[in-house]
Amino acid sequence: MKKEILRFSDVTYIYHTKRDETTAAEGLSFTVKEGEFVSFIGPSGCGKTTLLSLAAGLLSPTSGLVTRSGSCGYMLQKDELFPWRTIEKNIRLPLEIKKQDTPENRMRALGLAEKYGLKEFLQSYPSQLSGGMRQRAALIRTLATDPDLLLLDEPFSALDYQTRLNVTEDVASIIRGEGKTAVLITHDISEAISLSDRILVLTARPARVAHEHRVDLTEKDPLKRRKEAGFSLWFDRLWKELNG
Amino acid sequence: MKKERKNHSEEHLRYLGKRKRRAALVWSLRIGGLLLILGTWELVTRVGWADPFLVSSPTRIAKTIAGLYRDGSLFYHIGTTLWETLAGFAIAVAVGFGTALLLWCSDTLRAVLEPYLVVLNALPKIALGPLIIVWFGTGSRAILCMTVVVGLVVAILHMLTAFIATDKNKVLLLRSMGAGKLQILFKLVIPSSLPSFISMLKVNVGMAWIGSIMGEYIVSKAGLGYLIVYGGQVFKLDLVMSATAILCVLAAGMYFLVALLEKLIVKNEES
Repeated sequence: MKKEILRFSDVTYIYHTKRDETTAAEGLSFTVKEGEFVSFIGPSGCGKTTLLSLAAGLLSPTSGLVTRSGSCGYMLQKDELFPWRTIEKNIRLPLEIKKQDTPENRMRALGLAEKYGLKEFLQSYPSQLSGGMRQRAALIRTLATDPDLLLLDEPFSALDYQTRLNVTEDVASIIRGEGKTAVLITHDISEAISLSDRILVLTARPARVAHEHRVDLTEKDPLKRRKEAGFSLWFDRLWKELNG
Repeated sequence: MKKERKNHSEEHLRYLGKRKRRAALVWSLRIGGLLLILGTWELVTRVGWADPFLVSSPTRIAKTIAGLYRDGSLFYHIGTTLWETLAGFAIAVAVGFGTALLLWCSDTLRAVLEPYLVVLNALPKIALGPLIIVWFGTGSRAILCMTVVVGLVVAILHMLTAFIATDKNKVLLLRSMGAGKLQILFKLVIPSSLPSFISMLKVNVGMAWIGSIMGEYIVSKAGLGYLIVYGGQVFKLDLVMSATAILCVLAAGMYFLVALLEKLIVKNEES
């Protein structure tokens, strides 16, 4: 039995603005276990980002309970690399923030950067890198503090299609290579199928888990998985659930 | 952007040549235009189409400046104004930056002070002249105060806008790493506001000169603004023109220094 990394128990979140109050999530329950890659798909504006903010502890639920064991790293739609820092210094940023910028940790983070092909770019500035490379650097930055859980907020959606497939491939292999647990939110059904062990389909706002699937495709590699026979069946099924 | 100097193709060399020629053209037109204006000015006063008593002339300006230099007052006046301007500039920038930081830190304080800042910004600072004289006397201190007052609110508002415009996603990212307010300030808000800081400096160069010269108009015994007012009162337009010309050179020099600073510290921004 694998360890539980993240658990939402009956979570409700209401946010307030001057005009209105909006229930972003209601009675949301699920668990994520160690080593799993779990994707959430749902109609746009269904509160997916709220879900990640709750998981990261940036928001507290209005009611219910969010429990997370261990640290987490957050990866956003855009790479959000700081343009005035070199790639190396960008990667070290979370270490500085957490005051863990020790020689060992630094070596480990830079080791990751080298392992995943960023060595020659360490002294470059983000503006000198391609979009794909930048997103890779953002992932290494997320991994720098060795988090137990990765929270991925549509990290590929700002990339063009070709780059997107390549970066997805990259990220999948890095995450699997490092044995990380990951939660991905996306509106891209095929992306979810190509990456995940499990897919949770959310309802329109307020978000609740409508369906839960264990993806039974055998390939681990996202590109190969896209070519598997069962892929389109999964796509149709999820498409219907999302639009039905 | 990688630096590659050699192995340019013919076409690229032609392109570079074209750029160089264009830059040369722009510069020669700039200098030529200035010389043309100065020449025409000199000519019309020499042949009597314009009265040099009213419009002065380049040679008369040169003679006046040389005269000021000989009687030793040239650098005294320049020094007085320059000191007032630079000190006022430095104080306005430093206090403005600090105040903007405070306002960024506290939403409540910002909300409370916002209307006052808006009013102070709109207020013509020269209206404060009499008060400043009464409070700070008729010496350099009053002029320094005027310079600070003119630049301060602009500096605050400029920096506050920059601080508030910090990328929300980057703030979110830092918060997800567990960053506190101070870390967000030093790792993100201040570094990302550097380009705005430079543009604030540029604006405030102008503000500082307005402040010091305006201050000298109201109350002074020395300085370039004093020379201008005095020259106007006794109808020595050569003196007015000379002081104005020196001001142009000084203001340009100060702006140039800020632009140089910009080149040194603002690097690798996303284009």
